[in-house]
Amino acid sequence: MVDETKSQKPRVGVYICHCGTNIAGSIDIKELQDFAQTIPNVVLADEYQYMCSTPGQKKIEDAIKEHGLTGIVVAACSPRLHEPTFRTASKEGGLNPFRFEMANIREQNSWVHMHDRQGATDKAKDALKMAVAKASLLEDLFPKSVPVEHSAMVVGAGVGGIQAALDLASSGIKTYLIEKAPTIGGRMSQLDKTFPTLDCSQCILTPKMVDVGRHPNIELMTYTEVEKVEGYIGNFDITLRKKARGVLTPTEAETRGIVGGGCNGCGDCEQVCPVIKPNPFEMGMAPRKAIYIYHPQVVPLIYTVDFDSCVKCGLCVEACGEKKAIDLEQEDEFVTVKVGTAVLAVGYELFPVEKKTEWGYKRYDNVITSLEFERLICASGPTGGKVIRPSDGETPKKIGFVLCAGSRDNTGIGKPYCSRFCCMYSLKHAHQLHEKIPGSQSYLFYMDIRSFGKMYEEFYYRIQDEGAKFIRGRVAKIEEDPITKNPHVLTEDTLLGQPVDIELDMVVLASAVQPTEETNHVRHLFGVSQSMDGWLLEAHPKLNPCGTTTAGVFLAGVCQGPKDIPDTVAQAEGAAAAASIPIHVGEVELEPYFAMCIEEKCAGCGMCVNLCPYSALDLVEKNGRTVMQVTEAKCKGCGTCGGFCPGGAIWMQHFATPQIVAQIDAFLLGGEQ
Amino acid sequence: MSGKTHQYAFFLGCIAPNRYPGIESAAIKTSRNLGIELLPLKGASCCPAPGAFGSIDLKVWYAMAARNLVLAEQMNTDIALICNGCYKSIWEVNHKLKHHDELRDDVNEVLKEIDMEFKGTINVRHLAEIYYDEKICGVAKLADSITTPLKGVKIAVHYGCHLLKPRKEREFEAEGVGDTENPMWMEELVAALGAEPVQYRNKMQCCGAGGGVRGYDIAHALDITNEKLINMSEVGADAITEVCPFCQLQFDRGQIEIGEKFGVEWAIPVLHYNELLGLAQGMSPQDLALDLHGISCEPFLNKLR
Amino acid sequence: MAKAKGYSDENLSVRLADRYYRTEDASPDFLKNVEKIGMTIAHMCYQCGTCTGSCPSAPRSSYRIRKFVRRAVLGLENDALTDPDLWLCTTCYSCTDRCPRDIAPTDIIMAMRNLAFKREIVPRNFLNTVQFIYKTGHGVPNNDVNRAARVRLGLEAEPETTAKYAEFIPGIQKILDHYGLKDKADEILAEGQ
Repeated sequence: MVDETKSQKPRVGVYICHCGTNIAGSIDIKELQDFAQTIPNVVLADEYQYMCSTPGQKKIEDAIKEHGLTGIVVAACSPRLHEPTFRTASKEGGLNPFRFEMANIREQNSWVHMHDRQGATDKAKDALKMAVAKASLLEDLFPKSVPVEHSAMVVGAGVGGIQAALDLASSGIKTYLIEKAPTIGGRMSQLDKTFPTLDCSQCILTPKMVDVGRHPNIELMTYTEVEKVEGYIGNFDITLRKKARGVLTPTEAETRGIVGGGCNGCGDCEQVCPVIKPNPFEMGMAPRKAIYIYHPQVVPLIYTVDFDSCVKCGLCVEACGEKKAIDLEQEDEFVTVKVGTAVLAVGYELFPVEKKTEWGYKRYDNVITSLEFERLICASGPTGGKVIRPSDGETPKKIGFVLCAGSRDNTGIGKPYCSRFCCMYSLKHAHQLHEKIPGSQSYLFYMDIRSFGKMYEEFYYRIQDEGAKFIRGRVAKIEEDPITKNPHVLTEDTLLGQPVDIELDMVVLASAVQPTEETNHVRHLFGVSQSMDGWLLEAHPKLNPCGTTTAGVFLAGVCQGPKDIPDTVAQAEGAAAAASIPIHVGEVELEPYFAMCIEEKCAGCGMCVNLCPYSALDLVEKNGRTVMQVTEAKCKGCGTCGGFCPGGAIWMQHFATPQIVAQIDAFLLGGEQ
Repeated sequence: MSGKTHQYAFFLGCIAPNRYPGIESAAIKTSRNLGIELLPLKGASCCPAPGAFGSIDLKVWYAMAARNLVLAEQMNTDIALICNGCYKSIWEVNHKLKHHDELRDDVNEVLKEIDMEFKGTINVRHLAEIYYDEKICGVAKLADSITTPLKGVKIAVHYGCHLLKPRKEREFEAEGVGDTENPMWMEELVAALGAEPVQYRNKMQCCGAGGGVRGYDIAHALDITNEKLINMSEVGADAITEVCPFCQLQFDRGQIEIGEKFGVEWAIPVLHYNELLGLAQGMSPQDLALDLHGISCEPFLNKLR
Repeated sequence: MAKAKGYSDENLSVRLADRYYRTEDASPDFLKNVEKIGMTIAHMCYQCGTCTGSCPSAPRSSYRIRKFVRRAVLGLENDALTDPDLWLCTTCYSCTDRCPRDIAPTDIIMAMRNLAFKREIVPRNFLNTVQFIYKTGHGVPNNDVNRAARVRLGLEAEPETTAKYAEFIPGIQKILDHYGLKDKADEILAEGQ
């Protein structure tokens, strides 16, 4: 914290970026440059079109050597974007990179004050003199490297999580794949076919599911949830709750001394179980027992006891016999694993479309959701692939598909965003209907058909050619004929400008998607932000779409925002690659922003120890005195302790009290000390 | 709750006192049996009609409704009313003036000319929604007040538009009232009288009269009414009930007009909920002036006996 | 502006009249005025048709509320204000309840009617209501049959309104006169005679 440059008079170089017209369009660069030259400690004030370009960075490198600069200030965009760029430039010029300070005059100034040139210029002057004040007091800092655990975790085992886990594992990394449901496969395993190729969804997913089960580097933990996350990139300690599934795997049985026992998926238990519940995998349209598997292709093929509905009659235990696989007294277990990085792939759920009461879902028998339609048309579904009307079991001939059912909705009831895959799967549903039911007719009620992917527009063409009827109008309401139970769809054909009343046998609502109930909990555990719509927030929408602002935590699939299977798989591969980099490098640099104890001032009161949200502080005996000690690897530099310490004994590196006070002085007093 | 009397300034509107006085009479008497006292709001005028006045100049609508509100403010009493159209004017203007300073200032500038000032000190409620409010009355208390249950009749509920819509602007103190697509609370009020509420197609459709359309294009308005009558008769409704005298006028006189204009004959009695409640509390058809109705209530009354 | 054809055959000029919409056809303040009076965000409409699909008037007339919103957005003031369909909205507010863009199409119609009235475009029945209220305070005034019935019921012949307390009527007249409403109604009705 103390070095010889501190005594040396500060020499600061200032660089003002035009950012094309992004900044120069709203701020008077010349005026700002002239002003910069009057700020104390500034020996050089330059400007350039694009400071982040090679010539821009070169200016910094050259000037450091030429003018013997001790600090650099670039007035440009957000440090989130280019702080690393200019730190590197400073380092290239021979200066410690932490002697660089950024003044944000774009996101926090020119972009929001574009109609007030003088106001924006004045505000930029304030930002600049504050940055110079801090840069004058910045010190050399040296990041620490920590080793990275050679393992990763993927949370959620839908197609995104499966792909991420397979990629990580195949690159030689031990991977824990965590799934809260009893089986992997997620939403994709509920689908009948996938657009636009019309592959059987299970057929293309099952091999991957089997690979996961077999991969030597994957430790699959189903019916398991994340309980606690501690640590930081390279060294996460993650506690998992293995929910009691009441059934032992062969391995678990063996550890209990039951040789050759454990669940083999025979299903004898299910036969005798007297409790019947709706199967959520079949969207509640088929029954399951209190001891159950979702469907025959589950991975792992292990039964699960639903303890909320189990009456503990013991019939299943009897039926299981010598395998002794069932333990009705089993309790949740907790295990802690250490991983270097983590990928969150926690998926989505359907928006509860019954909230849009005008469409009568859950009020009208023959109005169903798209996921219910998937199960109805799927050969392995509750009806063996025979599409039927819920009201009377008849085969529907005329089916309406209601697009944007809760998407693109600014009423506060639905979702303001586009759910992105409903157009395409509704086209697919129309195709499946035409294929399965001779003489059937589909009606798609739409606002825009968004068929933007590879071969998607061609798919739209094909379905139109198959005879699907497209009615351009958002559905205003659905009325049910009280006698026939036929739904009537009422809207305007906006292209004709005519109201339409289409009597149908069944209506399928392409319900909006939303983050799952658990997403918010999981994101808090991992310290990940969410965007306004509730989806998990990527580090940068364009340049870092798989990362998060928490180092070492990455995103894959719909949990980051609605996307279809190809996009989910692509993002999963990206997230896996990004998550594998620190592991393969083997060590990561931590920003040296941790707290330090000034021992001569520390009274050893220990108040800071309890305040620290990261348990990074301890009291220790040193030279016969009790003083506080920081575990640097645990400290995130949040400043809670430093702000609180009554004796001013905590020094926050890079955000030290003198540096911050100097900034405040610069703003309030114009730089007077 | 029991024994406590709730007092409201009774805003009458136009059609109830001047065309169906039985509604006014029944509202006062039936409410009294439920511990609700309706006090005269002296000097009140037309709300004014939201369709006619709102269409011509919303500013006049605000000012005229505000004058009625100030009369109740001067009594320091919340308003209760029995008409959806009045509810739109009186409730909505009260709400808007409370929340938009600019509108309030404009209105007060005009009211100053007649030595009045809108202060925003009272609330406005529809009597039907007060009945449903557990904090004041509630379905159970309502059922307890019944002496002559309306057994053996099917009743189609017409909610009307302006009590509930637009949903996003409405705020009800009573729980369970706000739904605009398939509300059921009025059915509960009807069932409490011993009658059978029936569900029919397009229940929430407008009666056709509003927005000045009844006056502008009577055939158009009646064609909407006729569609509702078809849907109600489809499920065998013996009577229609509503909480809006203007809707009542449209359904009641409208059936006669439909006969004259379209040659389609209907004879479904139309009774305001307070008239039904009056019958169930033992008031006679004479007490309710049911003879003033365009469509005879006799078949309905006979079915009750 | 539509380009005049000026053909020698007037019928052909009319039949072949220029039907392009051009930006100069837009009335510059129409959208702004509609949004201010209606207190809603007409410009956010994405033309989905939920409003027309909800409208009880649409299936029995040429009235298309969606088109009126479009006219607001494009500034087609004349088309909107002179269209007799403007007066077919029953103000049921179903469109407002369901609009996914959270616009209040009903209030757009009300705003347009207000603007039409400024141009003295207004159906007579609306003005009759004004005259009744100016005179009696009621849009639907009392009558003798009703008075008799009221007395039979034990009510007073005149309700506790301006009907009984005529001293309140001058106040009402002052409000209406403040906006010049009565004079304007009389004038428009007289012109129509």
